[in-house]
Amino acid sequence: MRGRIGSQLVQYLVLIFLTLALNFFLPRAMPGNPLSRLAGEDVALMSPEARQELLVRHGLDRPLAVQFGIFLRSLAQGDLGYSFQRNASVASIIAERLPWTLLLTTTALTLQTLIGVMLGGWAAWRRGGSADYGTMAAVMLCRSMPSFWIAMILLAIFGAELRWFPMFGAFKPWLVGGDSLAAVVDVLRHLALPVTSMVVLGTAETFMTMRYSMLDVLGEDYVRTARAKGLREAVVLYKHAGRNALLPVATVFMLSLGFAVGGATVIETVFAYPGMGRLMYEAVLGRDYPLLQGTFLVITLAVIAANIVADLLYPLVDPRVRST
Amino acid sequence: MTNLVPGTRPHALKLFLENPPGLIGALLLAMLLGIAVFAPQISPYDPDDRVGRPFQEPGAGHLLGTNDIGQDILSEIIWGTRASLTIGVVAGMLVTTIGTTVGLVAGCSGGTVDNLLMRFTDLVLIVPFLPLMILLAAFLGPSFYNLLLVIGVLMWARPARIIRSQVLSLRCRTYVEAARAAGASSGRIMFRHILPGVLPLALAQFVMSASMAILIEASLSFLGLGDPLQKSWGSILFYAQARGAFITGAWLWWVLPPGLLITLTVMGFALTGFALDRYVNPRLNQRQASG
Repeated sequence: MRGRIGSQLVQYLVLIFLTLALNFFLPRAMPGNPLSRLAGEDVALMSPEARQELLVRHGLDRPLAVQFGIFLRSLAQGDLGYSFQRNASVASIIAERLPWTLLLTTTALTLQTLIGVMLGGWAAWRRGGSADYGTMAAVMLCRSMPSFWIAMILLAIFGAELRWFPMFGAFKPWLVGGDSLAAVVDVLRHLALPVTSMVVLGTAETFMTMRYSMLDVLGEDYVRTARAKGLREAVVLYKHAGRNALLPVATVFMLSLGFAVGGATVIETVFAYPGMGRLMYEAVLGRDYPLLQGTFLVITLAVIAANIVADLLYPLVDPRVRST
Repeated sequence: MTNLVPGTRPHALKLFLENPPGLIGALLLAMLLGIAVFAPQISPYDPDDRVGRPFQEPGAGHLLGTNDIGQDILSEIIWGTRASLTIGVVAGMLVTTIGTTVGLVAGCSGGTVDNLLMRFTDLVLIVPFLPLMILLAAFLGPSFYNLLLVIGVLMWARPARIIRSQVLSLRCRTYVEAARAAGASSGRIMFRHILPGVLPLALAQFVMSASMAILIEASLSFLGLGDPLQKSWGSILFYAQARGAFITGAWLWWVLPPGLLITLTVMGFALTGFALDRYVNPRLNQRQASG
């Protein structure tokens, strides 16, 4: 067990290193002046002295190996770079956006796991019947839809036509600092449509996992014993079979947690939701390379962190893994 | 579906006829292929021509209205079929080729080579997909080939894992052992004896990868990172979003149809893929989900 986690850690370290290397080499390997990729295209508007200072700060006049050292050192000091377009450090911009993405994605993830587990368990119980095939077909259909399209349709119907929910953003600025209940309701109303889009799309994986794993468990001897004892079907389903069938779902949940930070790019873009994904898109549009790279780095680190947590937590959830 | 493994063709045909979802999938794909091939004949206008007033509502001249610069939306959508199917098929082939090669080499070699390749595969599997694609597409610049490159580089890991596990099971079959005992070289065993055994599985993976690639192309084009010279369903939606089509009633004919076609295409590939998967691997229903 310890050996497995050890080799896993080595793998994560390699991934972190590769990500850093990619972040380092991408702006330098492109044709043209790397300075514009490192500091954004606004450098053309700077005075020659300011440009020279930047050149030295990024060490672009030094050998590549030294540059990589400077790059790593500033990262270790929490310096993700500086966005000249926004006149703020990349770290502070990200810190402002991260909570919104976490709110959006953890809400969606919780809902889609609950729905997926209930539907999946139910479909497995009715296996082979029309209820099973019906839910499977519906889930497959949802999974085939492009996320941004679901978002646009929801926005058109419930935002523009019916005016039930706000069209964009995460909150109304004028409610901040006022009546706290009104502010909470406002945030929830802004959350409704993006979360629905993500749930429509994301339920499929939990559903499929739960259904397969429930089918597996329902064939076990102890389930037959429970039935033979004359227990009610609901008790057998939820207390006996369901608990064990949840294990693979837990894995899916924990791995999705990692993607939570970066996974909502497209949906955040449609709703102009001020999260990490939208930030990345804005960085692309504005050719703000430092911001783009900083965002990517944070997203990757989040995925790795979630993987490590999943590896560490899994033995707690499934005792069988511990004994081997 | 032609003679991948001698003698399997009649079964494959029967499979599709007896499996309604598979049949629906195959029919959907055939229909879309027809639209793509005959796009010049079917589409009422050249999709790049400005043939009417901008923002026209659907009417006699333009069944789905016109876009922000007066191009016929129906023609755009018909020509977009080409772009989406092309990226799906070409990227799917690229991904499957890389995945099959890695899986085959890893599974046949075993030992250190296998270990290293699989570690690397696991690495690619946990990379955050869309963010990396956005990063690469932004640096490389939007073009068809860069899109292909990005999808190819990032999507082969899952097929590689699946192919490798099949290779491992084939390696222990008696006919492979017989070949080895007869003195066949490891290269000959790999290509003549094991490769034919994984090809049906590779075909199923191709279909799955193609549907993924179509979704990814649509997402990247929607973010403005696709090929700017090619009309695709994603880029139509990009302009619809940028011009606020969903605030006016225009979403009904500007947003709804391209998205529906993307959904149908992905469904078509996925249904065909599931049918193939079931055919290749009949025990799929009993597999351990935690595997």
